[in-house]
Amino acid sequence: MHMTTTADNDWCELLRTPIDANAAVGHVRADRVGALVTFDGVVRNESRGRRTLYLEYQAYESMAVAKMREICAQIHHTYAIHRVAMLHRLGHLEIGETSVFIAVSAPHRATAFDACRFAIDTLKRTVPIWKKEFFEDGAVWADGELPPAPPAPKAAS
Amino acid sequence: MALLAGPVPSGYNFPVPHVLPNLRVKVLLFARVRELTGIAEESVDLPAGATLSDLFEHYQKHFPALADLRSSLVASRNQELVSWDTPLSAGDDVAFLPPVSGG
Repeated sequence: MHMTTTADNDWCELLRTPIDANAAVGHVRADRVGALVTFDGVVRNESRGRRTLYLEYQAYESMAVAKMREICAQIHHTYAIHRVAMLHRLGHLEIGETSVFIAVSAPHRATAFDACRFAIDTLKRTVPIWKKEFFEDGAVWADGELPPAPPAPKAAS
Repeated sequence: MALLAGPVPSGYNFPVPHVLPNLRVKVLLFARVRELTGIAEESVDLPAGATLSDLFEHYQKHFPALADLRSSLVASRNQELVSWDTPLSAGDDVAFLPPVSGG
């Protein structure tokens, strides 16, 4: 269908310092790129009507990076894209800070939009990262999504 | 102890008592499971043949409140999601993952 690129040059990282969006965008630029779509996930000041003070993110770091790389490989397999940068913050985050930043570049815009959407949706569903929301009157681990069930055990033969 | 009774065999060829080897795994706990147990990471010795379910029961014995979380958790072995009846091997990295909420 399309010339398959590999995820070898993609950039996946968990960071404890502010995400450098310009660096992520720069990483996916190239002469063959005609479209560059980014997703900037930002810490919001409320959750279901409660005022949020700040968030704390925790991850199963080695597995999270492995899953992010899996997402990149899937994207290259499915979409005619050039490159992906997928960065996620950990630790304490203030309102307005970027918690996740994804940049996808491609020769054409439709694939860049689709691939970026797929990347953030899949990250939120499958990458082992957790956020704790701190309110004025307490704190809770955000209701998350269950990762897809593992393959059913093989039937005895 | 009975094995030690009687004359001690000499030479290289006396039989080694048959004992099922224990297996040691590394357990990693996150988010509400980490808070409930107060454990982030530890090594656990299990009898040979133990499964992820057995390991979870070991924790549930010490922390009964974990029972309420069980249905919301998925198990991972060496960074791959696996079913609860998966047998463990020495040196495995094991985790019980709450629903993820990154992004």
